[in-house]
Amino acid sequence: MENKVNSACETCPQFNAKGLKKLGVHTDNIDYVVALAGNPNTGKSTVFNALTGLRQHTGNWPGKTVVRAEGAFEYNDSKFKLVDLPGTYSLLSTSQDEEVARDFILFGKPNVTVIVVDASRLERNLNLVLQILEITDKAVLCLNLMDEAKRNNIKIDERTLSRDLGIPVVPTSARFNEGIPDLIQTISEVASGKIICKPHRIKNVPKKIEDAVEKLSTEIKKQFPTIPNSRWIAFRLLEGDDRILKALRTGEFA
Amino acid sequence: MNYNPTHALLIFFGLVLISYLLFRPKSGWFWVIKNNLKSNEKIVIEDVLKQLYHIENSGKEMNLHDLNNSLKFNDRTIVDVVKKMTIIELITFDGDNLKLTDSGRDYALRIVRVHRLWEKYLAEKTGFDKVEWHIRAEDMEHKLSHEETDLLATRLGNPQYDPHGDPIPTKLGKVADLEGEFLSSLKVGSVGRIVHIEDEPDVIYKQILAEKIHIGSQIRVIENNKERVVFYAEGQEFVLAPIVAANITITLLEKEESLEENMARLSSLKDNEEASIIGISKESRGDSRRRLLDLGFVRGAKISIDLESPFGNPIAYLIKGTSIALRHDQASKILIKKGIENGK
Amino acid sequence: MNKDEIENLITLSSDLRWKIGDDFHDSLAEGIYADASEISSASVSKDNKKKKFRLDAKIDRIVTSKTWGFPIMFLVLALILWITIIGANYPSAMLADVLLDVVHPFLKGLAASIGMPWWLDGFLIDGIYLAVAWVIAVMLPPMAIFFPLFTLLEDFGYLPRVAFNMDYLFKKSGAHGKQALTMSMGFGCNAAGVVATRIIDSPRERLIAIITNNFSLCNGRWPTQILIATIFIGAVVPSSLSTVASMSAVIGIAILGIFFMFLTSWALTKTVLKGEVSTFNLELPPYRPPRVLKTIYTSLIDRTLIVLWRAIVFAAPAGAVIWLISNIYIGNESIAAWTIDSLDSFGFLLGLNGVILLAYIVAIPANEIVIPTILMLTVLVTGVTGGEGAGIMFELDSVNATGDLLRSGGWTLLTAVNLMLFSLLHNPCSTTIYTIYKETNSLKWTTVATVLPVIMGFVVTFLVAQIWRLF
Repeated sequence: MENKVNSACETCPQFNAKGLKKLGVHTDNIDYVVALAGNPNTGKSTVFNALTGLRQHTGNWPGKTVVRAEGAFEYNDSKFKLVDLPGTYSLLSTSQDEEVARDFILFGKPNVTVIVVDASRLERNLNLVLQILEITDKAVLCLNLMDEAKRNNIKIDERTLSRDLGIPVVPTSARFNEGIPDLIQTISEVASGKIICKPHRIKNVPKKIEDAVEKLSTEIKKQFPTIPNSRWIAFRLLEGDDRILKALRTGEFA
Repeated sequence: MNYNPTHALLIFFGLVLISYLLFRPKSGWFWVIKNNLKSNEKIVIEDVLKQLYHIENSGKEMNLHDLNNSLKFNDRTIVDVVKKMTIIELITFDGDNLKLTDSGRDYALRIVRVHRLWEKYLAEKTGFDKVEWHIRAEDMEHKLSHEETDLLATRLGNPQYDPHGDPIPTKLGKVADLEGEFLSSLKVGSVGRIVHIEDEPDVIYKQILAEKIHIGSQIRVIENNKERVVFYAEGQEFVLAPIVAANITITLLEKEESLEENMARLSSLKDNEEASIIGISKESRGDSRRRLLDLGFVRGAKISIDLESPFGNPIAYLIKGTSIALRHDQASKILIKKGIENGK
Repeated sequence: MNKDEIENLITLSSDLRWKIGDDFHDSLAEGIYADASEISSASVSKDNKKKKFRLDAKIDRIVTSKTWGFPIMFLVLALILWITIIGANYPSAMLADVLLDVVHPFLKGLAASIGMPWWLDGFLIDGIYLAVAWVIAVMLPPMAIFFPLFTLLEDFGYLPRVAFNMDYLFKKSGAHGKQALTMSMGFGCNAAGVVATRIIDSPRERLIAIITNNFSLCNGRWPTQILIATIFIGAVVPSSLSTVASMSAVIGIAILGIFFMFLTSWALTKTVLKGEVSTFNLELPPYRPPRVLKTIYTSLIDRTLIVLWRAIVFAAPAGAVIWLISNIYIGNESIAAWTIDSLDSFGFLLGLNGVILLAYIVAIPANEIVIPTILMLTVLVTGVTGGEGAGIMFELDSVNATGDLLRSGGWTLLTAVNLMLFSLLHNPCSTTIYTIYKETNSLKWTTVATVLPVIMGFVVTFLVAQIWRLF
């Protein structure tokens, strides 16, 4: 079996290796839904395979996964369904991939969203991360391709990063199964509410836009008091996003 | 019937010729007949209103004779329609001249709104070439209902300006300002920004497009006389005939505002040069523009050439740690400032 | 929630948006990147002192250089095609031996021993089984070699460089550089080529790539081309040159296909596709060492088996139809003979014949069974001895015998040339049509992709036939 767990964390106290079972495509009786998002070409599908024990093809191409794939794993008696979303650079445009990814995070309401990023290209990848953090407040950053970053002499201070983003950060090298147990542990802690995220909200917005967003966001909260992402919906309304307009009218947010 | 290859070929080419005559773009008989069938009264009324609106906006006046000359319908139709329009109080006569009434003006604004919104739509959401926008909008302006127009506006995020820089009237008839002077009337040394490029007449518009002059560009006039207008923009010099320059509108900028004298197009970047991005030209629109922004072509990003393809186009640029290939025409719509210090 | 309140909300957003002006999206995108830049500079440190070893850069300089870029590309493609064709020969022959010469008679024997009625036995074993067996024997080995090789290159990261090199040529016809890859993939299988267009993220260019993929001569058509070229083209030149001549003819057809691909791409962008959105950007990812075993495994599962499965699903009914039309009689003639008669004059106009047209109609599911069907139908209508019986597809062991049979069916050099052209220019197989529908989700584009090449095939063969007969 290729997906043998062989990281240092396998022996660390909080990880319960015996509690892990990779369930492949069997996604029934699920306790938690986990979405897997990320830029193209960050090894997202490799992470997906490492978590589920499936062997989805992962090409060295931007934009390989177009349809979303599903798999599952069981950890400490909880079953997690994993949904691999199309790799996108952003959620602000209107391409088909982005809509699939966006709709799932927004309307599918996953319990946890794992955002896979390429450690060597953090700044570029943060573009998507920050957008996702506007939509959902339960997320884990999977800092993948650490091996390549090491080769390029790039060091990342995970604690600072985690503090700035307000979500847990797990370094991994999914190709070599490094860090996967840690990732699983973190996913389960976020899902169960043991870790509470305080996601970063986009700050560098020009004043006149921020004012408009503030005003609109307040109004949205009046209509839908429970939603966590009124600010993001305000962004989309200002953009004239059809899908969001429709969702407002049909009350999908409620 | 006896078979003979020559006959077969003749019949074949005959059929090809007939279908060409019927269906060739624009002037095919099929299209001509189709157009004639649908040019009904509503279209004539709306075209008259629009014509009057533009004339009044430019401070000129128009009589029935001028109107006949400026529209492509036959004179008889126009006279009939004008008669009817005075009865339903869309226009009035002021001596010889035609004037819009208030309700006529409202109606005209609505037509203009649809036209400009549709151009914006074509620019943002479709791949039609810009030379086609106007003609397609001319057609569509007679077709969209109120509700459809408002829906379209919302979907486009209520834009203020159409892709040529003309203000789009709002639902309530509010029109944003368009201030500026024609390029042909500027003094040497003036600095400004291109805010509008007129898309009529077609011949001149195509010339402007061929020069690759971009809306939103910052310019400095170098020479202006009867023969030619020369201006500097985005690291290049452009030479135009005055009649062409008269179709470009410029908003003047104070000298202090006029930053980035060494602004250039990304397409002019050389191997081993480094630059930082100033922004993306307004010429890059819709999904194409969004994609560039998503990929990190934003203000302040450092950029250099990573690889040139064997034909020299596309070129792969190194930006935010990734190598991304762009075609020449895309790179020409990204503005950069060259020569940033290394190590910064 | 109140409907009016929601409408007010939307109106408010419209008004606010109008006040903000047109650069909302830009400001937002810039704002997000500014945040990203702050956060990353706080936590990322790069050790620039160590001179970074950029093997990537070195490879890139070579594979995209003016001198070496194209030779390397063609060499790699040629090598892959060569390994595929040579390597597939043996397993193909073996599979054909087993499935057609051992299992088929065995099944027939079994059917006879349990006393199965002749029509059921013919329908199931001669019809369905034979068609499926044929498709597997011809299709499986080359695909099982071609796709893993291609996938290895993909995983390594070479393919984006090919797209980068070729983009300039493709741009001229309004297409995307990545179409070079989907086209190459089409040489293996058009259905797989169509699926591969997912890598093209610009809607217009993706549609172009989907619609024109059929012009890549696929695996199922290479054997037809080679066989016909060997019999007819090889025969008109001195025997010492016959191999060269027939091979050049086949390669010529493939190149003609590329020409039609460019032509059609260009024509599509100028007409029906001009309103589709077009964007271009191509990320050149870092090279990564491919993991050979895993790649072979996944590409076998992902591409080969799925495509094969679809082909089988479509081939089975085709086999049934072929058997039925040859064995059901209307009056004195079978449906097949009757159809061939009525198609003959149209076929003649195109320099083909009724047999070929009927074969292409019933063999829509798989190009692999075109030749066996033609042979069977030729025997059926000419009544020459040979063959296995009505509705039973076969191939002859010797090329000469095949040639003799076809000539007795009235074939000339013109028929051969036009068959080769028509084999290039006709509708995609039903597997591909289905795939196109699934990928585009549009009946319109599926119809265009299906009908366009047939019309082109009719026109080209018609013109060739008339001009040929003039001289």
